[in-house]
Amino acid sequence: MSALIFTTVLGIILLYLGLTKNKTILSPVAITGLLITLILSLKDWGLDSKYFHDMIIFDNFSIAFNVSMIIITIIIFLFGIDYYQRMELHVAEQYALMIFALTGAFLMTSFSNLIMLFLGIEILSIPLYILAGGKKASFRSNEASFKYFMLGSFATAFFLFGIALVYGASATFYLPEIKIYLAQFHGNLPPMVMIGLLFIVIGVAFKVAVAPFHFWSPDVYEGAPTLVTAFMATVVKTAGFAAFYRLLCMGLLPLPVPLEKALWVMTGLSLLIGNLAALRQTNFKRLFAYSAIAHSGFIMLAMLSQHDTSASVLLYYTFVYSLATVPLFIIFILVKRASNGLETLYIFQGLYKKKPWIAVFTTILLVSLAGIPPTAGFMAKYQVFVLSISQGYLAISIFAILMAVVGVYYYFFVVREIYTESDHLHPIVVSKLNAGIIILCGIAVVVLGIFVWKLPI
Amino acid sequence: MKEISSAIQIIPLDSYIMLSVALFSIGLMGVLFRRNIIAVLMCLELMFNSANLLLTAFSSYHSDPAGQVFVFFIMIVAAAEVAVGLSIVVMMKRNVESVDINLLNRLKW
Repeated sequence: MSALIFTTVLGIILLYLGLTKNKTILSPVAITGLLITLILSLKDWGLDSKYFHDMIIFDNFSIAFNVSMIIITIIIFLFGIDYYQRMELHVAEQYALMIFALTGAFLMTSFSNLIMLFLGIEILSIPLYILAGGKKASFRSNEASFKYFMLGSFATAFFLFGIALVYGASATFYLPEIKIYLAQFHGNLPPMVMIGLLFIVIGVAFKVAVAPFHFWSPDVYEGAPTLVTAFMATVVKTAGFAAFYRLLCMGLLPLPVPLEKALWVMTGLSLLIGNLAALRQTNFKRLFAYSAIAHSGFIMLAMLSQHDTSASVLLYYTFVYSLATVPLFIIFILVKRASNGLETLYIFQGLYKKKPWIAVFTTILLVSLAGIPPTAGFMAKYQVFVLSISQGYLAISIFAILMAVVGVYYYFFVVREIYTESDHLHPIVVSKLNAGIIILCGIAVVVLGIFVWKLPI
Repeated sequence: MKEISSAIQIIPLDSYIMLSVALFSIGLMGVLFRRNIIAVLMCLELMFNSANLLLTAFSSYHSDPAGQVFVFFIMIVAAAEVAVGLSIVVMMKRNVESVDINLLNRLKW
């Protein structure tokens, strides 16, 4: 709880620091603040503290996810020192909005009441609508912002209507009480509740960009400023899936049959569309949007194989995925700078010649995303498959494994570009700090893959 | 509060559900088919408000205040959202001098 309050205050402090027109102090303040938040969250470990008439419960699940999101945000801010140094205006607002979005993410991991879930989703989304439109003069950024806003609100409307229907039947917003209410029907839910639950799930699925509710994500990822894209692909995804899992686990298990079928269809479609559409992408950000959709499919697989270890696998997967994605976006920004703002995959050509060490670590990160041992990405996928096969979902697991093999192709397309010769000779400038972040993340991915197969939850 | 609650209950619950579903569908169709961005924003509001109406009706039929409290939260969030949405529209208008939704086609695969 103190972490939640502290991030809110931190955001406001950053807004006021923006008045001093001194850009250099923003990043250190934000990072120090996040480190304090990290310690404050860890202090609640194991306490299961409840607030606001049990509307928020900070249990180990939420703390573990909060800590993972704070770590990823710190990495993004560390890079922000360099990235926002080049921006002229409104740097403080960018930091503050990301911190506010993080506050929403904290609510999304710790709700036990649908009101709090709604507020969490909105506190996360509204700053992101603004952040996506960060480049005001660029029409692509405007378009991304508006598409995100419109489809986000559209999903929220569905979500709210679903909540209203469920509330009408069960007369409560508390998930544990909804669970008791649903249990009395033994699977034969009245149509109103069924439609309500379906609408709620559609609303959350829109937010995490699971196919077939993914249309917005490639456009938004492409148009938004790259660092915001990195934030959306990692922190927002993690928060969304934590909320999704918590919703299913606290309120809806055992899943009603039509809902379960719908969720399995979403899983299959995410795996299929994400991986196949990624094959034909030439824009790096779009490639990563589809790769994010594909990874959503694997995460859904872990989530739907209901078992005690699902939460731990979910945490491991999202953390490892974020840890590999953020530095790749950082490398992309640096390479993009050297090639006059082009965003195709070909700009990676000759990276090995210019910066051999960065190229090697980029390869490690890509290999982790593709899921090849000995990296953490492999362990994450392996655990998902073990979990789903042990729960008896054999057919979809085999399909997922096949799709993971397809995924290797498009990640290695980037790897191939890195090691090809190129004729354009713009130097790529990598500051010591940025190189440090990339190398640390690369090492962390390997170390996690070899030694740590389970994160405590 | 008591009088309002009993006033709401003069109309049967089914009618509220019908009305909300109708409003929601009108909003949905508007978002999907209108070409003017301002009209789309209004239709989004209509969708939110249909949920508000439903919550209020259910809340007084269950005699449980939680639903009506939630309506206040929704109204606040919807106001914040529309403020952001309109500012995005203004930002777009500055760049392209139009509020036609068909202009949003630069990003596609």
